[in-house]
Amino acid sequence: MQPKKQSNAPYWPILPSAIALAGIMLFIFASFGPPASSSGFVTTLKGFFMQFAPEYAAGKAHYRMMPGPGSWLMAFVLGMALGGFVGGRTFSREIEDVPQIWRERFGAGRLKRFGSAFLGGFLILFGARLAGGCTLGLFLSGATQLSLSGLYFGAVIFAVAMLTARLLYKRRRSTS
Amino acid sequence: MIDIWLGLFAGTAFGFVIQRVGATNPQKMALAHLMQEPHIPQFMLLVVIFSATGLFFLDAAGDAVTRVLPISLVGTGLGGVIFGIGWGISGYCPGTCWAAVGEGRMDAIFTLLGGLAGAAAFAHLHESLIPILYMPTNMGQLTLADWFGHPAAALGFLIIFFGVGVWLIGRLWRQQDA
Repeated sequence: MQPKKQSNAPYWPILPSAIALAGIMLFIFASFGPPASSSGFVTTLKGFFMQFAPEYAAGKAHYRMMPGPGSWLMAFVLGMALGGFVGGRTFSREIEDVPQIWRERFGAGRLKRFGSAFLGGFLILFGARLAGGCTLGLFLSGATQLSLSGLYFGAVIFAVAMLTARLLYKRRRSTS
Repeated sequence: MIDIWLGLFAGTAFGFVIQRVGATNPQKMALAHLMQEPHIPQFMLLVVIFSATGLFFLDAAGDAVTRVLPISLVGTGLGGVIFGIGWGISGYCPGTCWAAVGEGRMDAIFTLLGGLAGAAAFAHLHESLIPILYMPTNMGQLTLADWFGHPAAALGFLIIFFGVGVWLIGRLWRQQDA
């Protein structure tokens, strides 16, 4: 896994980054409430349905229990995209539309990667909405509050993702 | 209105940090899942160690807004299994994919669209699925403090438990790299 381009900027070391992110999480706990991100998808959809099918949005429990657009949640996920944009613009590292590890296993075809990314996205949100939260809303926020649901969810998602990656990339030819 | 500025500020800072640490990079995430890249999982555990410690004091000062989600053996567990499969396939989480879209990753756009479809599908089925899968094994808003009887003891346990996790990941990850 040596990068081909030596000009790639290094990622931040994890210890100061973890302190920084914990500080942001505490800012959220002090200002609004537990940080969450999968709920932002529901908020986005609620805004869509309120516009185009208001009766459907009003009739569904999952949309009733979430704030709509114009809320902290919506601003938070849009902020995430903005933060990623600023981060990416100020960072000299080449971005690959198809990750190297995927290319080595499935080839460079974009259709296959984008299709699987769509499927993965479907599953992470379906699972997160069933569990009540995601990596951030349930695991990171939950474990911060010492909640058993967060620890349980965290253990399951790590174990299953590791198993999935192992099955998915099994026949990857050795790099390095 | 102030909520929107707070959310935008927090989200922007959050997205920036996770981009800088590499959590928005699906290559790095896949290697983390394959036990060849220890930094992302170690980073996540360290975040919890620091934020849990901070929240302990914030809570003691009475300034924290907390909301513990209930644990449902089947609902949380099955949700985690479905989530884990999707995470393994795409290399993105619901949060990181927003930041990765901002960063300009094309595959993250498809994960975001898939996520909207998945959330819409679940929201449509909420009334049928929650009573079957979530409610029967819902054990309520349990925390480690309920087990240990004292929040400080529970926090101490979490710090040691995750600290050992960080150490173990450092030992075990990358060693399989032939």
